[in-house]
Amino acid sequence: MATWHRVADEAELKLDTPLGLRIGEVQIAVVRLDDGIFAVNDVCTHEYALLSEGFCEEGKLECPLHQACFDIRTGKALNEPAEVPVATYPTKVEGGAVYVQV
Amino acid sequence: MTRVVIIGAGQAGRRCAEALRERDAEATIILLGEEPHPPYDRPPLSKAVLLGTDPGNGLFVRAPEFYAEKRIDLRLNTRAAAIDVAARQVVTEAGERIGWDQLVLATGATARRLRIPGADDPRVMTLRTMADAEALKARLATRPRLAVVGGGLIGLEVAASARQLGCEVHVLEAADRLMARCVTPAISDRFAALHRDKGVALHLGCALTAIEPADGALLLQAGEARIAADLVVVGIGGVPNTALAEAAGIAVQDGILTDAQGRTGIPGIYAAGEVARLPHAFWDARPMRLEAWQVAQNQPVAVARAIAGEDAPYDEIPWHWTDQFHWNLQVLGDPDPAYRLVERAEGEKLTAIALDDQGRARGAVLINNGRDATPCRRLIAGGKALDAAALADIATPLRNFL
Repeated sequence: MATWHRVADEAELKLDTPLGLRIGEVQIAVVRLDDGIFAVNDVCTHEYALLSEGFCEEGKLECPLHQACFDIRTGKALNEPAEVPVATYPTKVEGGAVYVQV
Repeated sequence: MTRVVIIGAGQAGRRCAEALRERDAEATIILLGEEPHPPYDRPPLSKAVLLGTDPGNGLFVRAPEFYAEKRIDLRLNTRAAAIDVAARQVVTEAGERIGWDQLVLATGATARRLRIPGADDPRVMTLRTMADAEALKARLATRPRLAVVGGGLIGLEVAASARQLGCEVHVLEAADRLMARCVTPAISDRFAALHRDKGVALHLGCALTAIEPADGALLLQAGEARIAADLVVVGIGGVPNTALAEAAGIAVQDGILTDAQGRTGIPGIYAAGEVARLPHAFWDARPMRLEAWQVAQNQPVAVARAIAGEDAPYDEIPWHWTDQFHWNLQVLGDPDPAYRLVERAEGEKLTAIALDDQGRARGAVLINNGRDATPCRRLIAGGKALDAAALADIATPLRNFL
């Protein structure tokens, strides 16, 4: 059963600056883009690496190891070496706090 | 309908086949591979495969059914023995003749062998193929004392994996520092410290002269030094597989000579991946043969475009990486030791940018700092003069310099 988890203060999240965090067994990258706050699985589908440690711009998160890019809004793998998308998670902002549903 | 035969079903052969299919729905595409496996990428062989960890999607990038779906006629266990240029046919080892309109040589490279007494002992191995990796993995399971000959990327990755598996590990390097071909001395020193800290015994400036059987083990001789080991892995570079091309009269010089898009001197014949030596825009069109994942990934796409009649030279800024223990090293462009190196360090993370005498970025080395790879690539591509002092200030994000 998916539940909402409070992950950050809204003010903490700066544009294009991913926040990596863990909810139970799930590692998540939370990113503020110009049209909202999004959450994707933080682990690259190519080899193990945290996407939150990668470069972020124009709605894309780039794996810091081998430079596969993922669409932060949809999770889609945009270029090799990754082929498989990362999972996305619903987010919401309430009372100045950011929540992710996992 | 064009009939394209690709010799070599490694990463380069796969990339060429799939890029061709994207451009030509009708072409007959035949991909010939010597090995029993469908195409795989080699980087995991020295790490995930040896360690027995999940290589994710990084080994067999495509599912087995991909090739049939894309109507790529993948023929495994098929070794090309000759190219009949006049008849436009490939002759396989089994004697079959396969006709082509366009031929791509994606024959890759072979691990260079040691030429010293004792190097033919079966306990002296190289690592190049899946079969090599599986054989090495099986031997490492008995926790042998391992001697790695060559302190380059493959050697150090094998050393790190073996150490993580609990083996005693020695690395013998003829040069006075590690990875001398691809990083500056300061970076070599950092990696030497990492390996020593993890318990790897490094022997630098160590010229191996013989390997002798002794007491059921092997004794490696280098000057006065004697190193005992149960297993030796040799990682001293690759030799391009050019014999087929040479026999067919295609110009060869440490690689198959091509133009910037992989065309050889014979119309309709191309070379793809690390076997090709091509004039590289990054080095003012100097002929280069690069052994890197990036080249195997993208140069064959330029070849496919040449076959499709497009003019699209291969001109990427060079990039390669290595993963050793918990360190990821990425090298972009040409961080020649002769350039001025500006370091942006933060704990174990480092970005070092090589500036030429005009202050233009020519290369970069990143340790555990992949976030800087794209900004560095853009700095190198931009060719703008940079202020070294400002660049050294880590409080200023790299993207501010773009």
